[in-house]
Amino acid sequence: MSFPHSQSPSIAARSIGARVPRGDDPRLLTGRGQYLADIVLPGELHACFVRSSAAHARITRVTTDEARALDGVVAVWTGEDAAKFCEGIVGELEVEGCFATTMPLLARDIVRYVGEPVAVVVAESRYVAEDGCDLVDVDYEPLEPVLHPRSALEGGPSANEELPDNVALRGGKVLGDVEGAFNDAARVIEATFHSGRLSAGPMETRGVIASYDWTSRRLRLWTGSQMPHYIKYCLTAYLGFPENECEVLTPDTGGGFGQKAHIFPEEMLLPLLARELDRPVKWVEDRRENLMTATHAHEQFIDIAYAFDSDARATGVRIRATGDGGAYHQPPWSMGVEPWCTAMVTPTGVYDIPAADLTYEAAATNKTPIGAYRGVGYMAGTLVRECLMDDAARAFKLSPFDIRRRSVVREFPWTNPQGIVYDEGSWLQTIDELERMVDYPAFLERQAALRAEGRFIGLGLSVFVESSGESTAMGKAHDLGGIYHDTATVKMEPNGSVTVTIGLTTQGQGHRTTMAQVVADSLGVPLEAITVRAAESTTYGWGSGTVGSRGAVIAGGAVLRASNVIRTKLVALAASMLEADPADIDLVDGAAVVLGVPGSSVSIIDLATAVYFDQSAWPADFDPTLEATLAYDPARPIFSNGGHAMIVEVAPETGFVTVEKVFSVEDCGTVINPDIVEGQIRGGVVQGIGAALLERLVYDDSGQLVTTTLLDYHMPSMDFSPPFEIHHLETPSSHTPGGIKGMGESGLIAAPAAVLNAVNDALSHTGTVLHDIPITPEQVLRALRG
Amino acid sequence: MTQPAEHVSVQVEVNGRRYQRSVMARLTLSDFLRDELGLTGTKVGCEHGVCGACTILIDDEPARSCLMLTVQADGKKIRTVESLASGREMSPLQACFQKHHALQCGFCTAGFLMSATALLEEGQPTREDIVETLSGHYCRCTGYSPIIDAVEEAAAKEPS
Repeated sequence: MSFPHSQSPSIAARSIGARVPRGDDPRLLTGRGQYLADIVLPGELHACFVRSSAAHARITRVTTDEARALDGVVAVWTGEDAAKFCEGIVGELEVEGCFATTMPLLARDIVRYVGEPVAVVVAESRYVAEDGCDLVDVDYEPLEPVLHPRSALEGGPSANEELPDNVALRGGKVLGDVEGAFNDAARVIEATFHSGRLSAGPMETRGVIASYDWTSRRLRLWTGSQMPHYIKYCLTAYLGFPENECEVLTPDTGGGFGQKAHIFPEEMLLPLLARELDRPVKWVEDRRENLMTATHAHEQFIDIAYAFDSDARATGVRIRATGDGGAYHQPPWSMGVEPWCTAMVTPTGVYDIPAADLTYEAAATNKTPIGAYRGVGYMAGTLVRECLMDDAARAFKLSPFDIRRRSVVREFPWTNPQGIVYDEGSWLQTIDELERMVDYPAFLERQAALRAEGRFIGLGLSVFVESSGESTAMGKAHDLGGIYHDTATVKMEPNGSVTVTIGLTTQGQGHRTTMAQVVADSLGVPLEAITVRAAESTTYGWGSGTVGSRGAVIAGGAVLRASNVIRTKLVALAASMLEADPADIDLVDGAAVVLGVPGSSVSIIDLATAVYFDQSAWPADFDPTLEATLAYDPARPIFSNGGHAMIVEVAPETGFVTVEKVFSVEDCGTVINPDIVEGQIRGGVVQGIGAALLERLVYDDSGQLVTTTLLDYHMPSMDFSPPFEIHHLETPSSHTPGGIKGMGESGLIAAPAAVLNAVNDALSHTGTVLHDIPITPEQVLRALRG
Repeated sequence: MTQPAEHVSVQVEVNGRRYQRSVMARLTLSDFLRDELGLTGTKVGCEHGVCGACTILIDDEPARSCLMLTVQADGKKIRTVESLASGREMSPLQACFQKHHALQCGFCTAGFLMSATALLEEGQPTREDIVETLSGHYCRCTGYSPIIDAVEEAAAKEPS
């Protein structure tokens, strides 16, 4: 079915493609950014949470008297108090075989992970609120913690009695003749992988401010959410705040990366507290809480096998992806999306593999809920696929480039066994380009020479295709529910300046700049005349969330559609004023010009002024509204692609791995702003290097999280940062505004596989092949010492 | 002995302006700057002294304001990110950050700017000096190389 809001007008790329500096930067560089903790409301109170110290336990008593008696404490709520207003947040993934859970706002009776909120103390200052938390006494009767997902699925105690067999998700599909492919295989390459538990680790932790006015029943909620409209929906649906008086505001936000794309109990509790206490309430998460409770990510155990024919072409794949889900589904993404996406979407990747046996499962465990983090499901899926490709290359004695060329899809459109259609791509070119960039023969020479000196370098390759511009069509293509569309408003004022509001929030991606570039090209106005407001409030526009590499595509489409309404009016007016055919008018460099008639032009400023103040200039039936709000949702799923090659060196004395250089190829169609695209690549790749070499959230045998500071949870610092060489391929989409495709997740999706492959290449003389991330120095040393 | 919630008098100079305030003995310096003086350009990222976002200059030396109590700054000269621009002109370092796209979300940026400012004031840092000094800061967005490029270019512009 086709809808008007899937059609995007054409646009001439003028500002699009330029390295336009970000308009936000001077404000942020001079300390003028206003992040959540910087907002102070008159009379605000401060909330602080008492969190479970046990992984799995029955709460036998919560004593709050001392805390309540403390000078400056205004209220203490426990699970019973919160449950009067809301039983909890229901979470599940809309796929076959998913079982829902209900996450209470504050734990009642039982706690199910370390860090789960048990009570909240509200006080006149943050300092007193923390003192109050120290005075709340919680007695626990221990229950057996469930900590390993695969044994949890085989039986034993339950992590969460809503899921008695610990199965939160289980399903799959067999597509094509998998039996035949494996029976006839010349070789089967298989392995079990473990991808470690990660935190997205945004530099700004979470936080919420709620303010309620009983006279109007007006609720205002500030949160650095990637999905403010979804938060608003939850506030109205679960808590009954009136939709027309409920506003979610998103201030400057210090990174999100998927972590801030969920609804959290704290976002539901603060509005209730503000309403019941009749004063604004603020909560700013500390880093320990962020590492303990703000959703974990990416942890999976994955069995995967590829069948290869005698020409080293992949003919079939079997995968079983098991997510270590934590105690609850964190809505809306749930613990299901990670293993579901790995199993159902990624195993074929850029390869023409006709048969696939796909199994996904997620186990409830007594750990922090798993949620989305950049490249959710895609990172682990790309890791296992690309690492097995390198295992196969070694088995067949082919180069990592050649093994991939044997199976890569060369003709488009291409339909994979899951039925997903890929309209276009530069999948083969990516492999060729990476081979050229790394100068493979020279690398092999250098590798051999260094090896003779006792130094070990390795080259790792990883190529990917990424779903981008998350949309209704994308959901349908993947058998997922969900309707997406986002709106933008474009308004031109009498002096020809333009204000744009979009329904997507921004967490550092530079949407205000890239969207201004789109408008500049649509309306022919200079960038200085354009102001873009990125979902500062749910009052403006509608947005399905800054997730799934959709910002540029979706906001770009909505902005272009709205802008085109203004453009059409300006063109009609200019045609009338210049006595020309509208088809001959272009808007460029601040003026409407008649093509082929030099000197025949009128400035955009004069046009805008005439719309507002000069009726005599109007053509017949002219409607002077210079403001338009329109929605966008691409008609078809959009996929970007690319790859990374990395050279690493492993130190034989310490086992440390250093990334010497990263070569990246990215094809996100038409590039709006290369600086911003390259920034996304570098940032994502370095997060991927962190995932591959450094970062891991560690639980001990009792279910205690032992990595609760940034000293223990080690993210990459500058000394881990490699130099980059980035090459852009541009295969525009024929369905999106100007051919744009999304790419925000690509760096993290594919980098860990490149690191693991490079380390395995460096260790290839040892016969050891590593399959787990993060790669620890101990593993490397063990491999080197045999 | 002074009790944590007891008030103590402190005198500090912040960005060239002198302040005399009575503050809680336990008030961290970052909270003092942000909540008492309204200088919210200094960000608090971890409160463990690890991430570097809260870095300020105390008597020209970088310091983690989340790990210090306000009383420890008594009699000292403090500079924060708000001091870097001259009037309405960004400092060369700030301009280089914009040019090299060395910030995305901007939350860690003030800390990087303050450490880099101190480094540039010490002399002409090499690329290695920059990496060694700024590896005490986390940035989750940029992948760091644009920050190195920005500081390196600012160093080249610095009158030696």
